[in-house]
Amino acid sequence: MNYGPLVFLAAFFALATSWVGFVLGPQLQVGQFQPTNTVPTRADYPVARPGLARQGLDVYRANGCAYCHSQQVGQTGTVCDVSLGEAGTNQAALTAVILKLRPDWSETQAKEALGSLPKAVLQSVSLAQAQAAVKELAVGGAKASVWVVPVGPDIGRAWGKRRSVAEDFLYDYPVMPGSLRVGPDLANVGARLPDANWAFRHLYAAQIDAKGSVMPRYPYLFEQRKIDHSPSPEALTSLQQFAPPSGYEVVPTEEARALVAYLFSLRADAPLYVAPLTVASAPATDTNAAAGTTPTNAPAK
Amino acid sequence: MSETVHSNPAASEPTEPKAARRAVPVWLLVLLFLLIYWGFIYFDQRSGWCSPVVYGPYHSAEEVDLYQYKVEGPDPANGRAAFEKYCSLCHNTDGAGKPGQAPPLAGSEWVNAAGVNRLIRIPVLGLTGQIEVNGKPYDFPAGMTPIAASREAIPDKDLSDILTYVRQAWGNKGAPVTLEQVKAIRDEVANRSTQLTVKELKELPETK
Repeated sequence: MNYGPLVFLAAFFALATSWVGFVLGPQLQVGQFQPTNTVPTRADYPVARPGLARQGLDVYRANGCAYCHSQQVGQTGTVCDVSLGEAGTNQAALTAVILKLRPDWSETQAKEALGSLPKAVLQSVSLAQAQAAVKELAVGGAKASVWVVPVGPDIGRAWGKRRSVAEDFLYDYPVMPGSLRVGPDLANVGARLPDANWAFRHLYAAQIDAKGSVMPRYPYLFEQRKIDHSPSPEALTSLQQFAPPSGYEVVPTEEARALVAYLFSLRADAPLYVAPLTVASAPATDTNAAAGTTPTNAPAK
Repeated sequence: MSETVHSNPAASEPTEPKAARRAVPVWLLVLLFLLIYWGFIYFDQRSGWCSPVVYGPYHSAEEVDLYQYKVEGPDPANGRAAFEKYCSLCHNTDGAGKPGQAPPLAGSEWVNAAGVNRLIRIPVLGLTGQIEVNGKPYDFPAGMTPIAASREAIPDKDLSDILTYVRQAWGNKGAPVTLEQVKAIRDEVANRSTQLTVKELKELPETK
């Protein structure tokens, strides 16, 4: 050890560098995050989970759901669609523009497209191409808009509409993004769960609805009890081979209800500045439609 | 085992090795330099310089900005968001007004007027006095507060968006209010600090 101080300094430098990189850097980058707004509807985002769902987060944690389910959607790129909204008056000129943009379309197809507006004239093109197409369509007298569409394997599996960002987890403690995907990603599970009974049945025995699932059963989140007078409206239905003996019923406990409330609250698909995404057209005149929730003129797929 | 070996075990062993100075090979220095060079280029192209708005697959804040929702000219969607933030407390989200607080905007002849010379002044200066809307008189003791009194409170862009939204929502059929119109009138009344009166409003030309 005739280089003791040097070894010490080298070790100190190595540890200090990793501390700066893994602790200080991320803290400076995302440690001061504040709630943000959706774009362009300016709704508050994220919204804190309602009480029961917040309790469900603890049930999710206690049962180790995060060991097999991730909560992070990846995105590998962003493409654009061009949606034609209004055709304008000069149909012949517009048809010519559309045929120029879509050499693979016949004139009949172009005219059909004009008859069924709003219609996506171009799909999966780059932003520059889309913006150029919108300008060309404007010259043809039409109103077109660029739709921003995130893409990636996870989005292809319908696990989300855009990538997960730090803002999505702002009110969660602890954050459980998960690292393994034995089961599907749950970042947007609230948007695709059919109904609460399905979710309860899935927790009770996943094999009922998903044949061959390796998900363990969680019967201790439920209570099997004797039917007193009449069956409870909360009792699980269609349990098939897991059905309780005759005269008994399976009802969810408070824990199961909290967990399902949490699962329904998992939804991270709001368009944000940091994760651009087009969900609906600007509600210009019809203000009675729900704000920014239903795509009113989504491009036809 | 003899006694002598026990008493002096180091005598027959070689001395402890010592590290000596030796020059770092030149190729290693060159390799390190190239790696650092490549690392910095990689960082510059992909990190967004640690900006909190840059997530993959985007590479820079400018690139994120390119994909943002943009509308040329007045944007009623932004106007709606701003209206619901500033105006709907009194005028209600459906533009029907609230009893004792504000007259309706939906179907109002003041909102649907062909020119916007009068309309823009109302949020900028506020309004006091009895005003007739849709054939019904409205009079509020405090009048309307100048909600857009300063550009800090509501920027020109937001005000033109709000007024465009108001003129096109709830069955209203007015032309959009442009940024230039808002800017011109705000510059014109910049030094005034009193509320506009309905009498003055009626004397103003509708279009300028």
